[in-house]
Amino acid sequence: MALQLARAGFKVALLEKGAHYQREDFVHDEILNSRRNFFMPLPWDEPHLVRQGPNGKYSRTNSAWTANCVGGGTVHMSGYFYRLKPIDFRMRSELGPVAGANVADWPIRYEELAPFYDMAEEELGVSGAVIPHPFAEPRSKPYPLPPLDAHPICKQLDIACRKLGYHPLPTARGIISRAYRDRSACAYCALCSYGCEVGAKSGTNSSLIPAALATGNVDLRPRSMARSIEVDDDGQAKSVVYLDAQGVAREQPAKIIVISCTAVESARLLLNSTSSKFPNGLANNNGLVGQNLMFSSFGEARATFRVSKRKQSWPWLDDPAPFVQRSLQDFYVMPDGRHGFRKGGTLGFMWTHPNPIFAAVRLAGSGSSGVFGKTLKDRLREYRDSRILQFEIYGEFLPTAGTYLTVDNSVKDVYGIPVAAITVGRHPTDFKMTKFLVERGEDVLKALHPDGLERVTTGGETTILQHGTCRFGNDPATSVLDKNCRAHEVPNLYVVDGSFMPSSGGVPTTLTIVANAFRVGQALAQTMKRGG
Amino acid sequence: MPRARRRANRFSRRVFIHRLAFLGGGVVLIGPACKRDSSPAASTPDAAATASPYRTFTEPEFAILSAACERIIPRDEDPGAIDAQVPQYIDLMLQTKELRKAKAEFVPGVLALNRRSRRRFGKDFVEITDDQRDEVLNQFKDSPSGSAEAHFFELLMVFTLEGLLGDPSYGGNKDRVGWALVGFGTSEPPPAYDGTRHLHAHGAH
Repeated sequence: MALQLARAGFKVALLEKGAHYQREDFVHDEILNSRRNFFMPLPWDEPHLVRQGPNGKYSRTNSAWTANCVGGGTVHMSGYFYRLKPIDFRMRSELGPVAGANVADWPIRYEELAPFYDMAEEELGVSGAVIPHPFAEPRSKPYPLPPLDAHPICKQLDIACRKLGYHPLPTARGIISRAYRDRSACAYCALCSYGCEVGAKSGTNSSLIPAALATGNVDLRPRSMARSIEVDDDGQAKSVVYLDAQGVAREQPAKIIVISCTAVESARLLLNSTSSKFPNGLANNNGLVGQNLMFSSFGEARATFRVSKRKQSWPWLDDPAPFVQRSLQDFYVMPDGRHGFRKGGTLGFMWTHPNPIFAAVRLAGSGSSGVFGKTLKDRLREYRDSRILQFEIYGEFLPTAGTYLTVDNSVKDVYGIPVAAITVGRHPTDFKMTKFLVERGEDVLKALHPDGLERVTTGGETTILQHGTCRFGNDPATSVLDKNCRAHEVPNLYVVDGSFMPSSGGVPTTLTIVANAFRVGQALAQTMKRGG
Repeated sequence: MPRARRRANRFSRRVFIHRLAFLGGGVVLIGPACKRDSSPAASTPDAAATASPYRTFTEPEFAILSAACERIIPRDEDPGAIDAQVPQYIDLMLQTKELRKAKAEFVPGVLALNRRSRRRFGKDFVEITDDQRDEVLNQFKDSPSGSAEAHFFELLMVFTLEGLLGDPSYGGNKDRVGWALVGFGTSEPPPAYDGTRHLHAHGAH
């Protein structure tokens, strides 16, 4: 948004609650990057309250935070960049209602978003190859960059998938495989979930934000925590009140206000922005802000291959190439309901994360099944001799009345702001679907004849992928935003993170959120140029 | 002597468990970082009053800690926790602002190990055999989830593994023996890297 508006000549103030990390801040240090508060705030400073069901007790967690820094979650993402498919925009029309869920069509179709997917891929820098397959979404052009190199095991994976009748696809990545627009190509360090010191990972911090700053029209203010959006007597948004780096409250007036704090935090900001015109929170007179919260349905299994056992059969196994880069979308939509669901999702195959402390803690376990001493050291030595291939599921998370967000006025963060309170109540179909996809993924792993196979979960949720809390739609009675992501009730307020989505999709939604922001930004720039 | 108790504070038991899950989890996080104070931790060493060479622990406490860490990761054909300087890592890391609360739970736990040893075997933890130390540690490990003993054991495990496998600039993983044990070596920070300095530079959100 900031990039497009700045390119169109408008002045943009960009407020970010976290720091503006530079490349030299991204070091390969697991303790710094993954085990302290470099990215996520601390659960006792800035908790999210989470409970299971309306009668559950809230616990203070850091669940459902993404990275708090300029660039947000795109700074520490792994960059699995898939598009949604036409059916995701028409779930209700094509698959029908699901009892107990609030399935709805989008007010736009895939074709309207497609040019902005092209734009997002080009502006961010996406590496991939287009392969025809039963669920391939339409594309007008190839990826801007060729695929990254993949590990030799992907050949085995392809054979195993095809034997089972599936269609393995190369996973498109938000990582540049060649030098691109003054950025260096990927150095294949295998630590994508850290910030990228090379600038090859296509977080907005290394692509869109520098370009926006280069226009001279963007005033980027890190360490600026938005506290509320103020309205004038006509019910128009007039300013953002925020706490600066010293904790001093400041007010930034604006003609147009765009929020993009993640589905959880944007809804929280709106709910905390009360006034006489909006006693239930800004843009929330119809009570829908915070409703229909969706994460992504998660499942995982992993296969262990022992290097010392495969020196003859798989001599390439300990090749350090970090990327496997294979996905399956054969179960994106099922032809009928015989397995208990229609809308499924994507399986993404990858090596397990190389963080050694994380791996060791996992191997140690805890409680009565935990180990220490020689047993633990033996496990660590086996781990040294292993390559562990896993898949993750990105599955449809149905919107229901059971999963939603409010704010808790009795619990405030270190800024003194009431925190987000999340209630999770999953639809049972989610679990049937995830279990089925995990079983299919395990069939693929078994076909590789691993030395060990472990099912991790069939019933999780990926909370860094979050959607739905400000659903967009044509009817102001059943949506918060219109088709241009403008609040029905507040004509100069826009929301452009994942909040707008009426369905969560069967893919990680990062690329979709960026594409939509380009779409909304283009329409808004045109409106503003016309003096609207 | 009184039994080890977690210090009463404003957090519930549930929060302790979640906080611990974060310590051991893949992402995040330990300890509060005051937004307004970005200076590196200048906390007075707790052991100063008794002229200990260590920052957090007295010499007897450090000896108990070392014995415990060495049971978690003993030396066999490969280096153990003491070889890797894990106790030194823990002693230093508990001085950081971020771990102020963890320190308040961990130091009493070290003393609790010793009390259990005296009750069970009539001797200090550093005087009993390896098998006897394992018995005490197993009792802590297998204590009911949410108990102070189980919580301390999890902290001990997590800090030992951080000390074994973290960047050497934090004081542990001496000569990268931890990384050699697990086969990690592809993308270490540069040799002059100082993890503790970066931790303090980025502590505030």
